[in-house]
Amino acid sequence: MKELEKVKNISIASTLFILAVIIGLLTYKRPKNTFALNTKTALEKITSDSFFVPLVNVNNQNYKLIDVRSSYEFDKGHLDTAINISTPEILKEANLEIFKSLKKAGKTVVLYGNNPEEVNTTLLILYQLGYNNVKLLKAEISYLQNRLITKNSDIEKSEKDIAEFIKESTKNADSSSVIQIVTPPKKVITVKQKKKKTAEGGC
Amino acid sequence: MTKKQTAKFLNFRYKILALILVVLAGGLVLLPKYQKNEGIKPEQLLANTISLERYISTDQMAHKLISQDPSFILVDVRDENSYNSYTLPNAINIPLKKLLDDESKAYLNQNQFDVVFFSNDHYYADQAWILCNRLGFKNLRVLKGGLNHWFKTIINPPKPTEDMPEEAYSLYDTRKAASMFFGVVYPDQVQSNEVETPKIAPKKIITVKKKKKVAEGGC
Amino acid sequence: MGPLIPNNLIPLEWNSIIAILIGIVFGFVLEASGFSSSRKLAGVFYGYDFAVLKVFFTAAVVSVIGLYYMDYLGYLDITQLYVHPTYLWGAIIGGAIMGVGFVAGGFCPGTSLCAVAIGKLDAWVYVGGILLGIFMFSELFNFIEPIYDGYFLGNITLMDTFSWNPYWFIFIFSIIAIVAFAFSDFVQKKIKKVFY
Repeated sequence: MKELEKVKNISIASTLFILAVIIGLLTYKRPKNTFALNTKTALEKITSDSFFVPLVNVNNQNYKLIDVRSSYEFDKGHLDTAINISTPEILKEANLEIFKSLKKAGKTVVLYGNNPEEVNTTLLILYQLGYNNVKLLKAEISYLQNRLITKNSDIEKSEKDIAEFIKESTKNADSSSVIQIVTPPKKVITVKQKKKKTAEGGC
Repeated sequence: MTKKQTAKFLNFRYKILALILVVLAGGLVLLPKYQKNEGIKPEQLLANTISLERYISTDQMAHKLISQDPSFILVDVRDENSYNSYTLPNAINIPLKKLLDDESKAYLNQNQFDVVFFSNDHYYADQAWILCNRLGFKNLRVLKGGLNHWFKTIINPPKPTEDMPEEAYSLYDTRKAASMFFGVVYPDQVQSNEVETPKIAPKKIITVKKKKKVAEGGC
Repeated sequence: MGPLIPNNLIPLEWNSIIAILIGIVFGFVLEASGFSSSRKLAGVFYGYDFAVLKVFFTAAVVSVIGLYYMDYLGYLDITQLYVHPTYLWGAIIGGAIMGVGFVAGGFCPGTSLCAVAIGKLDAWVYVGGILLGIFMFSELFNFIEPIYDGYFLGNITLMDTFSWNPYWFIFIFSIIAIVAFAFSDFVQKKIKKVFY
């Protein structure tokens, strides 16, 4: 029975251990929303898929328009069939229910806002949460005499060749004087590689 | 009596422990697997997204570039061709597709510099920002309006009309001076026959220390 | 120190202090469980005491199961854990040398220091041997370096190399552990008891 005399230490240790496990389980809360895509696949999808719905297709029966602007702006004027879920509220339970049911029904959710850039981040959060039926309306919204005007908007189109413009400006100037264009020096950014070797240990 | 029973029970204690072990290990196999959340929580990401703190205006950017502020790295997320044709001074090119490569991460995931993303507009830059923000990288900024806005405000600033307030004129002067710094030449500049060439700054060598990701240890 | 220092939750300067505290606790547990006795340690090779095998196997199984449960519940991220780099031949040769030293001396480097602390003379000799070995290794380092740095396979695990399912691996591993415990008990019963 010598072994049983040691039971005291062991039982103290195991009680503490079980206590730690119980505390861990009690404090455990399952996160309400989790990303369905990890960042690598999200990046792949973002760079390969197209999220844009051109303005002409807006009346497609399969599309559900969602206005991500604030409710104040929504009341001021919105597209006919749209409903309002402003960006800060997309993760509310009721709104997520809407997205879920739309996904189930096989409908495409088309988000729009003042401009595509404003909707971009909203769309990406929803997309990373696994709602792969969200799209973005390629439109800009403005008001003319209190009437809502939509305009097709190009995304990430380079509006002007800046290098060309700078060259042009030198040409336009009087070429008799010598003009020296100095581009700022190149900043060399080097990355230190992490040392692979580590402290070794053994017991 | 109870003592006897406990003694009897304790005879089996190792078997019971072994059984618990197998049950726990088997539980791991049987537990339903789910896609784990990578990076910060969606709620946090949404809060970060709503805040417009990340945007840096083209005027601020121009000021930083002219004063040769060493505290940031410009990251051009457009493709290589656009990068080669025109980019901001000292920008490095990380096309969006290569954003999460290991060598890109060394630039993005560090505490030394602010990282300023830019593209033609801020659409792609925002995409880069949201992914990096989700991974918890720090000090990320986005150039508001991107290169298009850069062109409109800095490279080719609109001349104020006469009915505009004085501030518009001083802003125009600042922007015009800035555009000269970035290489634009104005006809009136040449008439005076004194062309101010921008100063050449000494070559800067900046090392980015890779953030330590894992703890090192031994037994 | 775990996830706390790399994430700047506590400053780097605390590293040494935490190391000392953990070291003291580790040494205490080693001594309390009788691991500062070379007879107990060597017993695993002669078959009269399998405490070493049981302790290390149990530690490994319990911690791997615990870690994977914590990973499952989201308390930690298993991919962020430190994985010791593998230098294949360095590990094989070093392991063989360490094994020989283990049987011959009756200590492993950690427990030898424990035994020094309780004043065992043979442990003093053993630690002296370790220091001599370190000295010789440093002197011969240029000669040994190709093996020491070579055959680098990266920070890999069995799951990466053979692309096994970690959960099944843990299950099979714990069954192997239990079989090993039962077998060691069986062997222990067959072999004449040694009192020490």
